[in-house]
Amino acid sequence: MAINVFFLFMSSWWMLALPLPSENFTFRELPFQLHKNIGITIFVIAIYLLAVRVSKIRRNAFKSNIKSERSVEKGHLVLYFLITFCCISGYLSSSYSGWGTTLWWSLDLPLWAEENDSLNILFSDLHLWSCWALLLVIAGHVGVALYHAFRSDLTTDKMYRW
Amino acid sequence: MSIKKGKTVNIKWIGVTSVLFGILLVANNSNEILRQAVILPGSVAESAVAADCRPDELVEEDLSLKECELMVSNIQIMLASSPSWFRPITICLYILGLVSALFSLVFGMRFVNSPESARRSLYVSFVLLVGIDLLIFATTSATGPLLRSIYLWPTLIWFFIHLVLLVAVVSYNSESKREVN
Repeated sequence: MAINVFFLFMSSWWMLALPLPSENFTFRELPFQLHKNIGITIFVIAIYLLAVRVSKIRRNAFKSNIKSERSVEKGHLVLYFLITFCCISGYLSSSYSGWGTTLWWSLDLPLWAEENDSLNILFSDLHLWSCWALLLVIAGHVGVALYHAFRSDLTTDKMYRW
Repeated sequence: MSIKKGKTVNIKWIGVTSVLFGILLVANNSNEILRQAVILPGSVAESAVAADCRPDELVEEDLSLKECELMVSNIQIMLASSPSWFRPITICLYILGLVSALFSLVFGMRFVNSPESARRSLYVSFVLLVGIDLLIFATTSATGPLLRSIYLWPTLIWFFIHLVLLVAVVSYNSESKREVN
């Protein structure tokens, strides 16, 4: 999941510097399809992880009074929510752009929206800003993980249980 | 950079940083392989075809006409400055780097809870990564200034990151031996 999220960040910065699509230039085809496919796959995983987190919180709602544990839960919820939002806004932007999506080159997803430039720009902006927010939260998440690692406390063992 | 608390040595940071840099390197190398798969020699960008910059697309992408035209030059730089041997060699090196990064990630995770069992594998992963970084550096050095400006600096940064982690694993090894003696 983390590898895919970082790959999407890196590849999106690079692919947006490729020539705009036209009859002659089709450089964007493969990176954009790959971007959408990985995004949709991440969305499915994020929804599952979000559901697991929510059910875990519900089960432990009246048990955990430790402030740090509640912060960890909130942090993960924000992370999964932002990942989900990035995926949805990206997919909506793509749908309004008029470009179709073939899921992993095998399943044509139905075009359920007409091409609409203003909605495309709106969702594209939402995608952009939610991704910046996600990057910020990831940086915080990594920072906390490193903090626990440098302190060598039990949290690190929980994170990397093998 | 071992942080000592009494007689115990904190080595968990080696595992955690291995995981972090492993994730980043896998993403980085995947992107590089994608770049090599997309920018192929003999493509239309090599001929003098002008960029297709439709005004509506420029508004959508928030681009100026000049930026749009330069996007084709971006591709031309890659194609014109890559010798014929560069693409196959870099693809192989980046695939090897990706696999080694995956190993460093997996064994880094294991190192946190079970340093003794993962130490040797993590050491091998970092030796491979340092070697691959050197090979990428040498390969890119043999090309022209345009490719060197894109690849050399990031490769050097990765080389030093892997060197630091390799030395950390090695120093943990000698530290533990000294404690036993």
